[in-house]
Amino acid sequence: MKKYLEIARAYMKAQLIWRADTFVDVILAVAKILFAWILWSILFEEKEQIAGLGFQSMISYYMISSYLFQLEKSAEISQQMTSMLRNGTFSKYMVIPVQTQGYFVAMEAGKIAFSAGIGFLATVLWSYLFRVPFVQTSDLKILLCGIIMVVLGLLFMALLNYFLGILTLKFEEISTFLMIKDNFSAFVTGAVIPLALLPEELTAGMRFLPFYYVTYLPSMLFIGKCEDEAITGLFVLSVWCIVFLVLNQAAYEHYRIKYDGAGI
Amino acid sequence: MKNNFKFIKELIKLRLSHIMTFRLGFFGPFFINTSYFLVQLFAFEAIYGHVDNIRGWGHGEILIFIGTFSLIDSINMVICFFGVISIPEKIQTGELDLYLTKPVNPLLRITFEKVDPGAVPLLLFSTCIIGYGVKESGMHLSYANIMGYLVMVLLMTILFYDMELLLRCFAFFVFSVNNLMKIENTAMDLCMKIPGIAFDGIYRFIFYCILPYGVIATLPTQVLIGALSAKGLIFGAVIVCIFTFIARSFWTYGVHRYESASS
Repeated sequence: MKKYLEIARAYMKAQLIWRADTFVDVILAVAKILFAWILWSILFEEKEQIAGLGFQSMISYYMISSYLFQLEKSAEISQQMTSMLRNGTFSKYMVIPVQTQGYFVAMEAGKIAFSAGIGFLATVLWSYLFRVPFVQTSDLKILLCGIIMVVLGLLFMALLNYFLGILTLKFEEISTFLMIKDNFSAFVTGAVIPLALLPEELTAGMRFLPFYYVTYLPSMLFIGKCEDEAITGLFVLSVWCIVFLVLNQAAYEHYRIKYDGAGI
Repeated sequence: MKNNFKFIKELIKLRLSHIMTFRLGFFGPFFINTSYFLVQLFAFEAIYGHVDNIRGWGHGEILIFIGTFSLIDSINMVICFFGVISIPEKIQTGELDLYLTKPVNPLLRITFEKVDPGAVPLLLFSTCIIGYGVKESGMHLSYANIMGYLVMVLLMTILFYDMELLLRCFAFFVFSVNNLMKIENTAMDLCMKIPGIAFDGIYRFIFYCILPYGVIATLPTQVLIGALSAKGLIFGAVIVCIFTFIARSFWTYGVHRYESASS
């Protein structure tokens, strides 16, 4: 465990090198809030509620989901793995005495730990500047469920991207697939719009998938909505995480022999 | 001029034979663009399915708007996107030397050397969406509306190209333009979801005059539905001229400052 903590710490420190990037990310987080503010203030001109959300709840949702979406940087894992497997530099992860899956999860954790604090301060700042009367749950248990769900959601996305990275060993070229995945994942996690706006039949089906619990449900829990789904959500997401932990281990053991160190 | 056309024809021929060698690369942009288009369409349907109209635009007009944005984006993707986005890398690695030392306009070559037919099906999807939007809004299109729309789409495609080029020319002066690209993506994402008519005050100024992504699909849509005044038409033409001039001048200035890979 100490080794993984050390990896996380190293990557957290490395984030300090890219201060300008972090700063721009934080500034651009306002774009989503701005988008929500402009769009929904017009749409709410004639309505009190849309899909069970009032204007303040909608803006609060966008503030939280924008923050969570900004934290989720695991797409880098699959991109990095693809590139290193193809150019033959992946060997460095194979020769160190840590599990590669653990290494990438720790790397992701380190990066998130750095941007979580800065992103939180930025969200509070934007909330103050926009004078958004923030809507939040007062139930501490729900708040705790939401926080655990966020952690599990980030873990799941890291595991999913690690799995996609491993697939490079089988399919060799997966960058097209990764771009398609990126296009859809923002939508199905609820980062583009609250999933409550979609037809009920569709969201009912999405509850069986992990993406529903990555951004959408935690954001809803934090604004005091969908509280009855909290426990089920934690259960479903935990199951998906376990499935991918096992699947990744099996896939890595199965496909790593295809890697010959000279790239694909 | 005639030589330029001949040159473009040759570039396209070379490019097509190149991409047919890598079949997945040929279909890749199609799948990527289609997935992006579908996500935008779903998001639109989900948002605008809950309201009757937005500042006077009904469901039909909104569909024309998203179809038009997608149409301009795909025209750009087919013709020049992959060429223009390679400018920063060419500057950083010094590859631009190879373009500057050839007896042809380097910008012309960069613009047309990576034509990509992968986005052609998206052009057809976008046209279908526009057609469906016209049907939904129940309007009767006149010949003048259609011609005006096509001219405005052409102008806005040029504006789109100008913006793309302008931001990438910063690579002549700074080490990395990644953050500028993030700004571009964010502004485009915002303006693709919100019609320009929804912007007021400072936002209208920013997205109409500073980062004019707000007008790109809005003005053609307004022309098609017959809601654009003469003032709006002139504004559209003027903003394209201004940004074309700025982009062209910025490129020329950047090339003069360029000192190979060390710049």
